[in-house]
Amino acid sequence: MNKHYILLIGLFILGALYPILPSAYITVGVTVLLFTGWASSWNLLGGWAGQLSLGHASFVGLGAYFVALGSTQFNLAPWWSVLLAMLFASVLSLLWGKLTFSLRGPYFSLSTIAIAEILRLVAINEGWLTGGATGVFIDTLPQPFGIDFFSKTTQYYLALVYAALTIAITIFIATRKFGFQMRAVRDNEEAAMAAGINPTAIKLKAFAISAALTAVGGGIYGIFLSFIEPHLIFNLLLSIQIALTVIIGGRGTIWGPAVGAVVLVVAGEFFRTTFAQANLLLYGALILIVILTMPKGIVGEYSHRLIRRKYAKNA
Amino acid sequence: MFDYISFFQNLSNGVLIGAVYALIGVGLTLVFGVMRTINFAHGDFVVIGMYFAVVLNSILGWDPYITLIFAIPLGFATGALIQKYILARIIDAQPETMMLATLGISLVIANLLLLIFGGEPQSVNVSYASSTFEIVDVKISIVLLLAGSITLFVIGGLFLILNKTEIGRAIRATAENRLGAELVGVNTKKIQAIVFGMGMALAMAAGVALIPLLFASPGTTGATFTLKAFVVTVLGGLGNIGAAIAGGLLLGIVEIMGASYLNSAYRDAYGLLAFLIVLLIKPEGLFGKTVKRV
Repeated sequence: MNKHYILLIGLFILGALYPILPSAYITVGVTVLLFTGWASSWNLLGGWAGQLSLGHASFVGLGAYFVALGSTQFNLAPWWSVLLAMLFASVLSLLWGKLTFSLRGPYFSLSTIAIAEILRLVAINEGWLTGGATGVFIDTLPQPFGIDFFSKTTQYYLALVYAALTIAITIFIATRKFGFQMRAVRDNEEAAMAAGINPTAIKLKAFAISAALTAVGGGIYGIFLSFIEPHLIFNLLLSIQIALTVIIGGRGTIWGPAVGAVVLVVAGEFFRTTFAQANLLLYGALILIVILTMPKGIVGEYSHRLIRRKYAKNA
Repeated sequence: MFDYISFFQNLSNGVLIGAVYALIGVGLTLVFGVMRTINFAHGDFVVIGMYFAVVLNSILGWDPYITLIFAIPLGFATGALIQKYILARIIDAQPETMMLATLGISLVIANLLLLIFGGEPQSVNVSYASSTFEIVDVKISIVLLLAGSITLFVIGGLFLILNKTEIGRAIRATAENRLGAELVGVNTKKIQAIVFGMGMALAMAAGVALIPLLFASPGTTGATFTLKAFVVTVLGGLGNIGAAIAGGLLLGIVEIMGASYLNSAYRDAYGLLAFLIVLLIKPEGLFGKTVKRV
């Protein structure tokens, strides 16, 4: 597994050099990195533990709202807000998981959509706290050691560290007992139970970690947008995009989320600038094509082929 | 004193709106029963139905309810083709793969509609849009009543097909046990295409029934309907048609009652809360069969 760490460090150094490019590319860079982080967090639950969530926008939104409200209403520094958001997101995910993980079938996926919807309605209607449908605007942020959080370069490095951290956690978990337990639960719950694993406990743990990590990215996203609207942030499309990033890249792989983020964000950006109105249409078509031709995702299919070739040679 | 008139007023509105929700939910549950997947494009099929009525009304001046005669066969054919040429390719993959493919279809449809019709919401003006009649001071809107009656007829027809025809028997067999159905000679591939077609036809019929009440707009409307359909099916019990009808009526009543007696801004949330409560205490749905617990 060491080769994954080496690859990660190499990519991190390359990533750190990225802001040399003209500043117009910074926004795409931040978006790719945030999606890498969210997708890696989603992958812990959806890829490794096999529980498909379509409500991860809730945690993105929680992170963003905590940072925004922390700064505008409670005079709280963003790092404390992010910690609170992580705590809140894990508690919410534990309650929510308790409710749905004991059931099989599509119940979990469906309930995740409902929770994101309820959070959106709360954000819109409880204007005294959240600024209502118009949203919140972050106008002041502290400047520790003279770091300006409003600078796009700072935001880029925050996102870079975040993305690298989620991948590092994935690599770390993949080789630990917990990683094997998650895969056992995903592949066959009865067999996992027979081996002494409590599937619900494993899923809950995966969900709490996934939710907390997503909220961190949400906090960075809040600073990056600096203007948060409930319609845009608790959006089903965002939840779907996070899930699809992993599916396209490869579920249950270490690098799948990162590959998916690069492909989807860059393709999305390209479609948006070249085809204007039709961009989401092409985006949908691209997703459909990838799912139909590469059901395991890009990284999944690639490693599958590598393994096949290896065995073919040995035979 | 408790105001009985307004209570029954809300109840009748809830039941009639709920009937249309039931129509949307039945299509979703029918498809789930046979294909074991949640069809995320279902709400977008409803929106296609709405636009179908809008277009025929604005070009030919047809009454939206007359367009039903064409909407149902068109929906059936389109749905069957989508299943045959797209979804059938991945029928043996994991259920999640199929679900995500339907998500892709949903994005394509929603944005195709946006491209054709633009973002401006559209509706159909009918002369009887605001006319009502009264039964003991309870006002019943003609449009709502028509929407409810359409549901009654379409679901009645569906029941006849499922219970009185050979195809219906094959559909029920496939839903119960796909392998078993195949072993006794049912062409399950064909059945799946038929069922997906029926699902889309039901969704389009619901769209047509809703158009005099709601605005058709591309984008998120489809997702909202899909969500409502989920709530309906889970309230009742996934994969069970009778339960979906009950779930639809329940959702309509909960929404209208919640909006008028509690806080109307949370209208959409009451259904979702009911959905979460049902998941908590009776996850197989209020009228469903027991689901497997871990």
